[in-house]
Amino acid sequence: MKLSSRDVGDVMVLEPKGKIMGGPDATVLHDKLHEFIDQDKKKVVIDLAKVDWMNSTGLGILISGLTTLRNNGGELKLANVTDKIQSLLTITKLITVFEAHDSVDDAVASFSK
Amino acid sequence: MTQPDKGPVRPRHNVKIVRKNNRMEIPSSLDYLPKVDQFVESKLKKLRIKKDQLVDIAISVSEIVTNAVMHGNKNDLGKKVKINVEASPSQVEVIVEDEGTGFDPSSVECRLDPESLLKEAGRGILIVDSLMDKVEILCGPGKGTKVKIVKLLR
Ligand SMILES: Nc1ncnc2c1ncn2[C@@H]1O[C@H](COP(=O)(O)OP(=O)(O)O)[C@@H](O)[C@H]1O
Ligand SMILES: [Mg+2]
Repeated sequence: MKLSSRDVGDVMVLEPKGKIMGGPDATVLHDKLHEFIDQDKKKVVIDLAKVDWMNSTGLGILISGLTTLRNNGGELKLANVTDKIQSLLTITKLITVFEAHDSVDDAVASFSK
Repeated sequence: MTQPDKGPVRPRHNVKIVRKNNRMEIPSSLDYLPKVDQFVESKLKKLRIKKDQLVDIAISVSEIVTNAVMHGNKNDLGKKVKINVEASPSQVEVIVEDEGTGFDPSSVECRLDPESLLKEAGRGILIVDSLMDKVEILCGPGKGTKVKIVKLLR
């Protein structure tokens, strides 16, 4: 997995690319999310468009990011959830926990509603 | 394999990754997950397998290898995880073995009630069960765990 990030106003957009399977690259995603919280950046969108797949370790990282952000008055939203990830979220019922948007723009805009 | 005439015989744990035909052996670290993924993909690419099926297998293998490394071998680099891929036009079978102490699969349940949903772990086997056609978990006292997963290629 490769990870890049950009900011759109006060919203941080994270763009992981590849496979999120645990091991070193999962740590990078986890650390980045927690770095945002340390910097008081509490509005985060994860753009999943370029993620081939993830496993339960990846889901665990998303949950950890979501919980930490919410506990600090922030929110983590998902954008461009692919079919495979959508089905993982359905199997695990996490679909009820995450707010997902069809595009990064929609996700970013939803923060100012 | 022939051993060199001179010099010490390399102890097994110095051998990082062993690959032979359909078998692969890794030290117990999640750092090797990408290598395992490449290995499995290389064994399957000759088959006419749908992208979607390949992804189901790749996710499932990553789950059971993660369990073997973390829960079975407890990240002990001296212990190995063995991965065996048997692929035919009708099905793909992957067997993962660890050197742990086994567990009781019937005692494992993934809870999906609202209070449990935000737990960070506990979804691996649930995911494998739903992505694969057959999942067999074999544990024997003092024998470690052997997990066999099968995907039918319809
Ligand atoms: N190879 C293994 N050796 C020992 N225990 C295992 C093994 N695989 C799974 N387990 C047990 O089954 C539980 C559930 O596994 P899983 O569904 O993958 O969730 P997680 O790995 O996130 O805990 C693990 O927490 C562990 O107790
Ligand atoms: Mg697991």
